[in-house]
Amino acid sequence: MTAFYGIPGAEAFWHWTTLVHFLLVALAGGTAFYTAIVGLREPGNLRGLAWLSLVFIILDLFMLWAESPARLRFSHIWLFLSFAPLSAIWWGAWGLSLSALMLILLGTKLGPPRFWSGMLALSSTIVLAYPGYALAANAARPLWDHLVLALFPASGLLLALAVLVWLRPANEAAPWLQIAALASLALTALYPLALASGGADTRAALALWFQDWGWFLLGGVLLFLAAFLARRSPALAGACALAGGFVIRSWIVEHGQHSLFVHGF
Amino acid sequence: MARYAMLIDLAACVGCAACAAACVLENEAPPGHNRLWIRQRELGSFPNVIVEYRPEQCLHCENPPCVPVCPTGASHKTTDGLVMVEVERCIACAACIAACPYDARFMNPAGYVDKCTFCEHRVKEGQDPACVETCPTGCRVFGDLDDPNSSLHEWLAKAERVDVLRPEMGTGPKLMYLNTPSKLGLRNPGSEVES
Repeated sequence: MTAFYGIPGAEAFWHWTTLVHFLLVALAGGTAFYTAIVGLREPGNLRGLAWLSLVFIILDLFMLWAESPARLRFSHIWLFLSFAPLSAIWWGAWGLSLSALMLILLGTKLGPPRFWSGMLALSSTIVLAYPGYALAANAARPLWDHLVLALFPASGLLLALAVLVWLRPANEAAPWLQIAALASLALTALYPLALASGGADTRAALALWFQDWGWFLLGGVLLFLAAFLARRSPALAGACALAGGFVIRSWIVEHGQHSLFVHGF
Repeated sequence: MARYAMLIDLAACVGCAACAAACVLENEAPPGHNRLWIRQRELGSFPNVIVEYRPEQCLHCENPPCVPVCPTGASHKTTDGLVMVEVERCIACAACIAACPYDARFMNPAGYVDKCTFCEHRVKEGQDPACVETCPTGCRVFGDLDDPNSSLHEWLAKAERVDVLRPEMGTGPKLMYLNTPSKLGLRNPGSEVES
C-alpha cells in the first residue's frame, strides 16, 4: 500500500481545452497543408482555402492563449525570442506563425503563389508534426509511444480533410481522405502492439488502458474503417473521420498524461 | 561553480514530514500543492513487514528531461547544477511537467510551473535548504559533489546502499537515497502489501 503526506505533482496538467487545441491544431495544419498542395498544383484554384486555413490557425492560437494560466503575463513573446530546437512547442509556435504569414500572402495574392505555397508546405508540415513530437518526447509517459509521431500527423490530416469534404463537397479532398483514413486505421491498429512491445512501464500503462478505456481504441478503429469504406458518401466518410480522429487523439492526450510513478513506478 | 546534491538516509527517516512543512513555510507553496512530499509504503509480507518513508521532490538531475522540452528557456540548469524555472519566461505550457519522470513539478495557480529549488535563495546565503535544516533526525545532508571536503562523500562512503529513483530514465538524479530499509531498492512495487 502506498500513501502520501503532501501531494506529488501527479494530477492532470492538461485539460479539455488542451484537447480542443489538439483538434484545432490538426485542422489548422491539415488545411494549410492541403492549401499548399493546391497552391503548388493550381495556384488559381485556391479560392477561399487560404482564408479558411487562417481561421483555424487564429482559432487555435486564441485557444492556446485563452487556456494558458500565463495568458495575462504575456510571456509567450519568449517563444520567439528563444532558440529551443529540441522543444516541439517552439517548433509549433514558429510553424503556426509562418503558416499564418504564408496564408495571408496567398490570400491577398501578393508575390509568387507557388513560392509561398512551397514555404507553406514546409511550415504546415511542422504544424502537423509537432503535436506528436510534443507527446513522444516524454519517456516518462509510456502511452505516448513513438508511434504517435506518425499517428498524429496522419490523423491530423484526416481531420482537416474531413472538414474540407464537408465545406467543399465537389473538391478533390475525398480521395485523399480515404488514404488518410487507411493510414490512420493502420497506425491505430498498430498502436497497442507497439505498446505491448515496450518496457514494463508501457505494458503496465497498456493494461490499465485496456482495463478501463479499451473501447476507445475499438471505436477509433471502427470509425477509421467506416471513413475508408464510405467512398460513395463523402459526407458520411467525413463525419466518421472527424469522430474517429477526435476520439483517438483526445484519448491518447488525456489518458497518456496520467502518472504511473505515483502508483509505485 | 558547484555541483549541488542532496542525500537522504531512509533508514533514519521517520516520516514526520517536518521537511514538507518547512518547505511550505519557506517557499510559500500554494494550497493544494507541495514541492516536497512523503511517500509511505508498506513492504513485504507478514511477519516481515516494514514501512518505508521516502521524501520526494525535484531531483535536480544531471540530464534533466524537463529542460530541453521547454520552448522558452524558462526551465534551465544553473552553473551550480540546480534545475530552475525562470518565472518571467514560463508560458505554463506544462511540457516540463509532462517530461518529469518524478512528478516533481506542478502548475502554480499564479500561472507558472513551480517545483523544489533546493532553496537556492538560502544556498546563496551559505545556508542549507529548509528541509535539511529542519529534519529532526538529521537524515538529510546537502552539499557540493565536486567538493572533496563535503560531508556528502563521508555519507556516501558509509552507506550500505545508494539508490536513485528510476535509474532506467538516465536522468542522473542528484538527490540520492541511502540505506533503503527494504534492502531491495526503491523500485519494487511487486513487494508492496495490498490493502
